[in-house]
Amino acid sequence: MPRYQPNLHLATNPEQPQILHIDLNSCFATVEQQARPMLRGRPLGVTNRLTKNACVVAASYEAKAQGVKVGMTFSQAKLLAPDLIMIETDPPKYHYVYKKLISIMRSYSPKIGMKSIDEGVIDFHGTRANINTRPLAVIGQEIKQRLREEVGSWMKCNIGIAPNRFLAKTAASLHKPDGLDVITHKNLRLTLSEMKLTDLTGIAERNQARLNAAGIYTPLQFLDAPAAVLAARVFKSACGEDWYQRLRGWEVDDVEYTTKTVGRQFVMDEWQPTEEVLHSRLSHLAETTAMKLRHRGLAARGVYLYLLYANGDVWYERKLFKTPVFSGADVLRRSLLLFNRRPRDDWVRMMAVSCYKLEPSNANQLSMLEEINRQTWLSEAMDTINNQYGEFTITYASTLAAKGLIKQKIPFGSTRYFELLCNRA
Amino acid sequence: MDQATLINKDVNIVAYYFKNNARRLRCFPKRMEYDGKRIDFTETGLVHPTKQGQRMIHVFDMTDGQADYRLEFDAQALSWKLVAITDTQYAPVSTQFAPSY
Repeated sequence: MPRYQPNLHLATNPEQPQILHIDLNSCFATVEQQARPMLRGRPLGVTNRLTKNACVVAASYEAKAQGVKVGMTFSQAKLLAPDLIMIETDPPKYHYVYKKLISIMRSYSPKIGMKSIDEGVIDFHGTRANINTRPLAVIGQEIKQRLREEVGSWMKCNIGIAPNRFLAKTAASLHKPDGLDVITHKNLRLTLSEMKLTDLTGIAERNQARLNAAGIYTPLQFLDAPAAVLAARVFKSACGEDWYQRLRGWEVDDVEYTTKTVGRQFVMDEWQPTEEVLHSRLSHLAETTAMKLRHRGLAARGVYLYLLYANGDVWYERKLFKTPVFSGADVLRRSLLLFNRRPRDDWVRMMAVSCYKLEPSNANQLSMLEEINRQTWLSEAMDTINNQYGEFTITYASTLAAKGLIKQKIPFGSTRYFELLCNRA
Repeated sequence: MDQATLINKDVNIVAYYFKNNARRLRCFPKRMEYDGKRIDFTETGLVHPTKQGQRMIHVFDMTDGQADYRLEFDAQALSWKLVAITDTQYAPVSTQFAPSY
């Protein structure tokens, strides 16, 4: 049934705010400064690899004050902040803080959700009558205090309180660092009047251009635009109506998305990788992709391979197979089928392997084919040994060359593989 | 770049201090003997657990006010290892962001 409702007219949601959004400030950099007091007050960048072309994945507020932005290369950042200190990510630290944050959030409401490693939402609906009777702003201050007590005195977070998830996130971004803001139907227009379109989460350059094309240049004009205009002219889909409701404080983002693909990618560590090097990196990517599949109890029928060449060209191919797989050897075999069809015009700079068409794994079901059973038992035996003694204690010979080079790094956005990542760190 | 020096050597922790943190009594290293020197820690940065296979390792990031030390406590072998010492050759802290201890 189509969701499009051409005559949708809604007022601003008059409900008292029940959603609290927590955002750790410059999470990785702040955690590193918490762990190492000598780094406090100094411009700090956190990166996945300590090389001059590696990009900054988190910058401390001291670095941001000197113009350093997330996504810059180390050499660019160093030009802006000559005293910049760069350190490598340390996932177990962030995992510890992530778990602490979850435990603090759970003590207020059973309905919580982590948006990413450093962002979480507490839904207070149904808990205010008897448990959380204090104003949410007071609870917000208490959460800040508990974070400082239970993790460390340097930890800071932004808190936003609003009737829905979108406005709560917007409120959390108003006063960084260490802010606490509340958006209600009373101050919504005032808050939006002080913002630009691109300050809204989900509105970047392309959506801004779409809005501009319809004569919408400010968040207030966006708020006042009719649902029909947003759906039919701006977003040309039901997304327009979602935006119409979202901006008015009605909840449209309380949705859980299922996993559609599982994969890994790697930027080559050599400028001119030979065939053997490419094979070993591909083998490692296939094995770790299979590991992720097994971690989530999934099997995949489709395999997708993506290559980026030195001249900027991109090549990709996908294939759907009849039977699902979950072992490293099978994912590699299928990846190689695609890999061998690649054009050989230039050096490969980056490769990615993904699995799609996911379904629950039937690894516990004995197969009638002995060969499949042997493969299953081999995967189980390898997983048991690796869980006991650390990942890659036992692995395929073809991946040995890549073992120390392809490091699992911080998964942005999703926290689904955090446990797996920390087992291997 | 970071000025960390990898050490990876067993060390002796000769004094501890205890703190009642978040309703749990917790133990932290206070004094370490390493390379013939005695190092008194003045602050604990972060204590977090990590795993090497099934072996639980507790990582203690400590400072003596001069340098940062990364210590690991092996909960199975009950041994302490000094993993790294971070150099102190950083630029002065800017007054705008100076930490208030």
